[in-house]
Amino acid sequence: MVNPILLIVIPLGLAFVVPLFRFISKKIEKFIPFFALLANLIISLTLFPHVLEKPIHVSIGGFLPPLGINLVAGPLGILFAMLIALVGFLVSIYAFAYIKEKDQEKYHILYLLLLTGATGVVLTGDIFNLFVFFEILCISSYSLVAYFGDKPGIESAVKYLIQGAVGSSLVLIGIGLLYGQFGTLNMADIASNIHSVHSISVFIPLVLLITGFGVEAAIFPLNAWLPDAHSSAPSSISAILSGIAIEVGLYAIVRVVFTLFGASSILTFLLFLGVITLLIGELCAFNQENIKRMLAYSSIGQIGLIVFALSIGSLSGINGGLFQLVSHTLSKALLFLAAGYMIFRSGSMNISSFEGMGKKMPYTSFAFTIGAFSIVGLPPFIGFPGKFMILKAALFEQDILFTILVFLILLATIIEGAYFFRVVQTIYFKGEKSTPGQEREIAPLSVLIPVFIFVGLIVVIGIYPKLITEILESSASELLNRADYIKNILP
Amino acid sequence: MNLSIILAIAFGGALLTYFSGKISKKARDVLAVLISLVIAVILAFFYNTSSREIFYTGFLDFPLILRIDTFSWFFAFTIAVIGSFSIIFSLSYIRKKGNTDYYYTMMLLVIASMIGIILSGDLVSFYIFWEIMSWSTFLLISYNRGPAIAAGIKYIIMSVTGSVAMLVGIISLYSHYGTVIYTELSGLLYNASSGYTIFIFVLFFIALGIKNAIWPLHVWLPPAHSEAPSPFSAVLSGTLIKIGTYGIILLIYVIVKINVFLNLGEGIVSARYIIAVTGAITILIPTFIALLQDDAKRLLAWSTIAQAGYIILGIAYGTSESVASGMFHFFNHAIFKALLFMVVGAVEYRTNGVRDLNSLGGLIKKMPVTFVGGLIGICGLIGVPLTNGFVSKWLIYKTLIINNSPFLAFAALLGTWGTILYSYKLLHNMFLGQLPEKYEKLERAPFSMQLPIVILSLAIILFGILPGLPLKVINSIESGFGLEPLTINIWGITSDTGTINMLNLFVAVFLIGIMIWLIFKGSKKSAGIGQYDNYAAGTTVPKNKYHYSVDFYGPLHRMISPYLRDFIDDFYMSLARSIKNLGNGIRRIYTGDVGYYAIYIMLFLALLIFIQIKWKLW
Repeated sequence: MVNPILLIVIPLGLAFVVPLFRFISKKIEKFIPFFALLANLIISLTLFPHVLEKPIHVSIGGFLPPLGINLVAGPLGILFAMLIALVGFLVSIYAFAYIKEKDQEKYHILYLLLLTGATGVVLTGDIFNLFVFFEILCISSYSLVAYFGDKPGIESAVKYLIQGAVGSSLVLIGIGLLYGQFGTLNMADIASNIHSVHSISVFIPLVLLITGFGVEAAIFPLNAWLPDAHSSAPSSISAILSGIAIEVGLYAIVRVVFTLFGASSILTFLLFLGVITLLIGELCAFNQENIKRMLAYSSIGQIGLIVFALSIGSLSGINGGLFQLVSHTLSKALLFLAAGYMIFRSGSMNISSFEGMGKKMPYTSFAFTIGAFSIVGLPPFIGFPGKFMILKAALFEQDILFTILVFLILLATIIEGAYFFRVVQTIYFKGEKSTPGQEREIAPLSVLIPVFIFVGLIVVIGIYPKLITEILESSASELLNRADYIKNILP
Repeated sequence: MNLSIILAIAFGGALLTYFSGKISKKARDVLAVLISLVIAVILAFFYNTSSREIFYTGFLDFPLILRIDTFSWFFAFTIAVIGSFSIIFSLSYIRKKGNTDYYYTMMLLVIASMIGIILSGDLVSFYIFWEIMSWSTFLLISYNRGPAIAAGIKYIIMSVTGSVAMLVGIISLYSHYGTVIYTELSGLLYNASSGYTIFIFVLFFIALGIKNAIWPLHVWLPPAHSEAPSPFSAVLSGTLIKIGTYGIILLIYVIVKINVFLNLGEGIVSARYIIAVTGAITILIPTFIALLQDDAKRLLAWSTIAQAGYIILGIAYGTSESVASGMFHFFNHAIFKALLFMVVGAVEYRTNGVRDLNSLGGLIKKMPVTFVGGLIGICGLIGVPLTNGFVSKWLIYKTLIINNSPFLAFAALLGTWGTILYSYKLLHNMFLGQLPEKYEKLERAPFSMQLPIVILSLAIILFGILPGLPLKVINSIESGFGLEPLTINIWGITSDTGTINMLNLFVAVFLIGIMIWLIFKGSKKSAGIGQYDNYAAGTTVPKNKYHYSVDFYGPLHRMISPYLRDFIDDFYMSLARSIKNLGNGIRRIYTGDVGYYAIYIMLFLALLIFIQIKWKLW
């Protein structure tokens, strides 16, 4: 069995040797993320069957928990690690043709660090270690947002930095308070003792952690950085930010709420927060002319939906939420990549500049359409089973409150449909009818391959959701059974 | 023969058509026609059989089921036949338009998903096919660009609104009864509280009513039907909106069951009357709006809404005659409305896209076959004896009058009166009257257009004289629903309250026809005069200066138009605008000033702590 620590070591190590490869050949550096993430993908796939049987945990430096830092590769962690490796791998292919300007070396280093951070967050079993990886993730994403070095990029990166820094400080204070009370940083150890102290002294760190991680997870009203950052980053990075970074933020919240604190009483609050986030995201996206801002607001909405589903708190709710999370990661990454290349060609982020793209870039347009349909939740794409599972979980509560919230969610779905269908129409049906002689500008293969792998996954999982439901179910039960989690690490 | 094979052919064929178009255009055309015909032929063999099979088990925990019985056969077969005629009609219609591969693929996809909906044996597969139908229709409505874009977006937003409501209904049924299979759900609502039944009814009716264009959920239909390519308008009007009808029948007579439905509420406030009255309103308002239209396809679109009103009225009224009339009218409307859209499409094709009733005229000499098709089509629409529309309308009038619903009967009759007016306007302004000079050189419609027109015209006459053929099928559907079947024979209906026999009528009309012909034959022939050989105030009328069809029904138009503004549409548009404004307002939260953003974070934290200190929720 492979050691899950490799998932962190490989990209981290390779990130620092990128500058060394420069001495051999300048052309090599862009392949390094590709190989690093391919390795990660393979490792996480081979770990996957083992993890389903029993979570793997690794103590670093031979110190048994609660001393020392430990890694916990449970189903949830591996699910995330797999997603991160998959999306990261595909986006690194996309970057071959897409990232050509500026200092590519830095891009690749930061890119690997970002994904290292993300993988670290989902695999660690130590709260402070989680914070460290979280910071790696955040800092590299601040810099990547500003990668183009233009004014909007730098401005939004600074805004993102400020808000992210506020969030991180809150997290740090929260962790400090926890350490002060429990004298340990091991999550399982804290979790096993959490009910032994007075509730208010647990509550303060809880809200500090939720707020701090909530900034990265883009929960309303902590998400103001997102539209700016997502729209001014390079599209490959937007795909990662939307598909990975905010999901990792969400992972941190979920881990804290379910495993660390076992705080099921705060779920009702998160339920409403999710619906509000969803509605606000969709309403803001509705009349948006800038395609990337539209997609960014749509991400806010989707995160709201996922938060809602996870906060239902039942097994099927968490299951649905995780399915929606996978679905959003794949679909939104696809949308950002496809839109990104169309922007690259048309030179404008305005939706109206997409007129006639259906003829000019037929494959990319097709992929965008699939992504849009999937996000809206139309069958036979991956978004549909996700939405279906969430509604099922919510309506199974047989509670009038849930019925009302479901109607609000569906209202948001309609709004979401409206603006996505508008873009699809712009791509295919607006503008002058093209003449037959018009030249096609088909995107290069390094763009089409990742894009079509996403399309394939979206369609295949959409038609056959059982492909991933098994791992989702065991992840959901990992979240719900904190006792098992604790017992595994502290026998 | 497996039901899943039909779906495999239908969906696989749609994809195959796209790729074959990349190789050869001829092969694609042949393939498209062939696939649609093969589906119809295979379905024909399922006549009078019933079977049920699980076709897919990969979707979550729901085994997806296909089933066929007389009820679904009747709908599926009609849809497949109308679909294949539309594809034949498309052969020359679509050739000039470009994006042909896309067109055929989407057309076949729409047909495939409609058949999927009809053959589904559980609500989840019903919903899946329903959504596939929605988005593929959306992509095809937008095909014509220009105004079609607005039509497409209106359609898909309404459609999504409906389908999310239906999804809640489906999942709610599942959460209550643990199943979504029709046969298992059937009758379970008998024990449910009437509040819950109404809740389910409302949710499903939002979806089904939007698809079926019941007033006030009809606003998507006029632009969508008029802006879509004409052969697709035939499919839309003839079959796609009938998916809504199918769903309503399924809901009332298969899932809820007739005995629960009739006991839902009392008297005027019962579900039965509310739906029937909605049906009556759907007949009245759109009929008169149709009268005001100057665009041939828009006129037909409004007419479709009105005719769908008859169907709903019949189905919801709940007597065995009315249900038979509703289903028979569905069948008839599929035929004659598809025919009429094809007639308008043929004219549109030859005149390069003219559908304005004020600028056409006199085409009878140029396109005689199309004219005859149009004539028979409007006869069916009006319900002239010896056409199929007569029998279904006769049934609905009869049952409404016998069961003491004079107002509903009056609405139905008034609707027919309006139908006569607008149908005549349609036929007259296109084919009769003076021929504008620019159309002097118009050719006949191509064979691939005339063929479906002729066949559908013959079908109208055939089922008008032999109404027993479809009524026999409808009868066996009705006995499946627990309604008393009608006593029928091949020529008509016999019962103690009223009898029609189309054979007698046919003979009578035939004899009278011969007599009239003989009288005219014997009398002196009138002189033929050229179109421009006329005078006013002692001087010749200049050519092309006047067009007599303009402002048809002018006084009537001026009289009724102030009352018939489509205020429902205005309402939806203002709703959309206010959502847009709301969105723009909310976006101001994100001021762009990072200072505010940092404050938001701290305020959020403060709020959480405040809630805890104040109420101790956690």
